[in-house]
Amino acid sequence: MPFSRKHWLLAAMLAVLAAAMVTLDFFDPATSGLFPPCPLRYLTGWYCPGCGSLRAMHQLLQGNLRAAWALNPLTIVLLPFLAYGTASYALFEIRGRHLPQIFLPAVWIRALFGVIVLFGIARNIPFHPFDLLAPGVLPH
Amino acid sequence: MFCTQCGASNADNAAVCARCGRNLQAALSVPGQPPAAGQMPSIFMPNYLVFAILATVLCCLPAGIPAIVYAAQVNGKLQAGDIAGAQDASKNAKMWCWISLGAGLAVGVVWGILAAIGALSSMHR
Repeated sequence: MPFSRKHWLLAAMLAVLAAAMVTLDFFDPATSGLFPPCPLRYLTGWYCPGCGSLRAMHQLLQGNLRAAWALNPLTIVLLPFLAYGTASYALFEIRGRHLPQIFLPAVWIRALFGVIVLFGIARNIPFHPFDLLAPGVLPH
Repeated sequence: MFCTQCGASNADNAAVCARCGRNLQAALSVPGQPPAAGQMPSIFMPNYLVFAILATVLCCLPAGIPAIVYAAQVNGKLQAGDIAGAQDASKNAKMWCWISLGAGLAVGVVWGILAAIGALSSMHR
């Protein structure tokens, strides 16, 4: 199979992904100024559903699952699904075949949407037990 | 028209999909029947849910939200047998994923410039 434009694009994306993972492994977003802060947190002081996800990825790459969980449990829960979807997409571009596709009924996606929004709201509520959801508060 | 196997956009009169090679005319001649409610549709239509979630939790929240909503619409309309509607939703989901990626990169670039200016000014101090 010739190396098409699609393949170059995929190779570039995988290279960016690998570079991002190496960077995240070496630099902790919690202490390094290399990574931009969450714009929502920076402008309003509120946590968004994704706050702590980069720090969580760093902890995960370091092998600290509990610390990663404490920073952003939602990201950790969704990670296997994201990894499967990315692998499925990459495999399709390389081999022209999909991994077995998971068809999520629309209700599930709407439920997931609701979970993400509620998680974003709940982690800003400043009293127990909701404060556990803020980045880095869960005991680890 | 969209390929029923990989979802790639093709010319309306294309014989085979330019991306995956599926015979598009044969797919057309099959009488379309909406799948029963709750049944998995036989057509593949990308809903970009993975990218939408990535955008929401890693990059740019405001643009990731509509991407997830459109991803839900893609599957909902597929379930209802509304292929054209699902294609529209699929296009919108894709567009919001790109917007979100662009916004995320823009924030990164602005942050990089600010950091560089900050580093320079602290050097002169």
